[in-house]
Amino acid sequence: MSYTPQEMMLVAAAREIAGHGVVFMGMSHPILAGSLAKRLHDPDIVFCTEGGVIDWEIPEDNPRAPIQVTDPVMYRGAAFCGDMTESLGAGLMGRSLYDLACLPVGQIDRFGNGNTVVVGDYNSPLQRIGGIGGNMDAACCAPAVFWLVPHEKRRFLSRVDFITSPGYIDGPGGRERAGLGPQGPNLIITTLGILRLDTPDGGKTGSCEAYLDAVYPGVTVEEARSQTGWDLRVSGDLRVLEPPTQEELAMLHRLDPLGAYLRAEPA
Amino acid sequence: MSAKEAVAEFVHDGDIIYLGFGASFCSFALAYELIRQGKKDLDLVGGTPQPQLQQLLFASGLATRTRSGAITGIRGPKPGRIWDLAEQGAFQFEDYSNLTCTLMLMAGALGMPFIPTQSFLGTDFLKQENLHHKHGFLGDGKLRVVEDPYSGKPVVALPALKPGVALWHTQRADEYGNVQSWGMYADARWGLWAAERVVVSVEEIVPTEVVRSDPNRTIIPGPRVSAVVHQPFGGFPGEMPGYYMQDGAMLRLSPDAVPQYLAEWVYGCADHDEFLQRYVEKYGFLWFRGFLPKHKQQPIGSVDYGYRGVHGS
Repeated sequence: MSYTPQEMMLVAAAREIAGHGVVFMGMSHPILAGSLAKRLHDPDIVFCTEGGVIDWEIPEDNPRAPIQVTDPVMYRGAAFCGDMTESLGAGLMGRSLYDLACLPVGQIDRFGNGNTVVVGDYNSPLQRIGGIGGNMDAACCAPAVFWLVPHEKRRFLSRVDFITSPGYIDGPGGRERAGLGPQGPNLIITTLGILRLDTPDGGKTGSCEAYLDAVYPGVTVEEARSQTGWDLRVSGDLRVLEPPTQEELAMLHRLDPLGAYLRAEPA
Repeated sequence: MSAKEAVAEFVHDGDIIYLGFGASFCSFALAYELIRQGKKDLDLVGGTPQPQLQQLLFASGLATRTRSGAITGIRGPKPGRIWDLAEQGAFQFEDYSNLTCTLMLMAGALGMPFIPTQSFLGTDFLKQENLHHKHGFLGDGKLRVVEDPYSGKPVVALPALKPGVALWHTQRADEYGNVQSWGMYADARWGLWAAERVVVSVEEIVPTEVVRSDPNRTIIPGPRVSAVVHQPFGGFPGEMPGYYMQDGAMLRLSPDAVPQYLAEWVYGCADHDEFLQRYVEKYGFLWFRGFLPKHKQQPIGSVDYGYRGVHGS
């Protein structure tokens, strides 16, 4: 069966998201992967998005992922509809709601820091990208983060051009020194495989470095290393993940009937 | 009051202005009118001001400043005229996030001089060279890292933000200006409460009994509202929960298309009714009708605030 690296990333992310309880879903790839997880693997996932909708259900007669942050599809069957004081304030900053945040990102680095604002120097950028939205808020405050990002050398840097979304910052103890709470286990789910962050306790100890934990079928370690801007370490028991099933691919496309995500270039 | 009158009276040159979050509850009727009237030196604030309005306001030179969580008007490898304005110093911006904008508006509404948060900690925004960046206007006034007086830990103190005016669109209001709304408010509750002047356009004006039968639905009470404008489809081409979906294609403008769009859809229309009329003439009523919801949802259980028992009457 043929499938694209992007489809494999979304399928792998959906499998990882399943079982994580209450999930703060970033727009774009995360909400599509989350919708797939809810639809196929774990109907009990509680979905939340930043505008203020909490516990959204995918409508049976219109089973598509939201295509923007205020998409009215989220109103049908939602359990709670409030505002960002609740979804971002109490939920993230108050650490009272989520088990996990699943986020898109433009660049990511060795210590799992994200950049969603600028390529190059902040004062004279080569390009302004994406936007911050709730990404910074979730990275600062969520108990754990799964990042979804295409595995390309321009995105996988030893140090991101600009930290908008802190991971472990400069390594062990980085979050605590900055005044942030512990976070993890974090994952970086890419178009080649899955990276884990080497810390047993949310960033206090361990190297806090991202290492390759799993690859997709047909992806070599060399390929992953060549698309990574630092000397990528590889797990001693590297896993090779199962390819997407027919069911996963069909549902993925059903959830994105307009191709809003599957046909668009990521930011 | 008409949109023309409300904007003329309540939007002032130099205002800090709140226009809602994204394309829901965004009053295109009032926003296009303020462009027609050439209100200038505006500072557009909020978590995610609707992207098309950002482009129109920045490119037209009317909003010379912005602070938000999604400055999409200067996104992309070729942001065009808006970036040129920034390079010339004619357009200045400060990056925040959705949460931090909400908190600053909340502080403004509640009369708190500042509000603490963990968001921004650990980011490169805290570095001196980035606080005092080339295209900014707040410097140390953007945020401070201070010591939490209780725990001694570092925390970010964000300044309160009080817009001069908030322009918003929602479902309904009564003749006393009590505004009722449903859907995800994002940062709107605080954008409205923080603003000195509040102008709301609505799909429907309803008898006050309707409002008073479900007071929890009121997002802002009449005494805090300067003007209500009755403008059906005033949120189009954005969406209005329960009334219509957005025309996403119309909202996505390439930087090069901005002058043509302004000429055709803003300056070329006397008011929002004329905008709607032109839309229907150009694309057809059948197409327009496609944005109306197929599923109108009625609540299964009604809301009962029943008050009078035997005791305590």
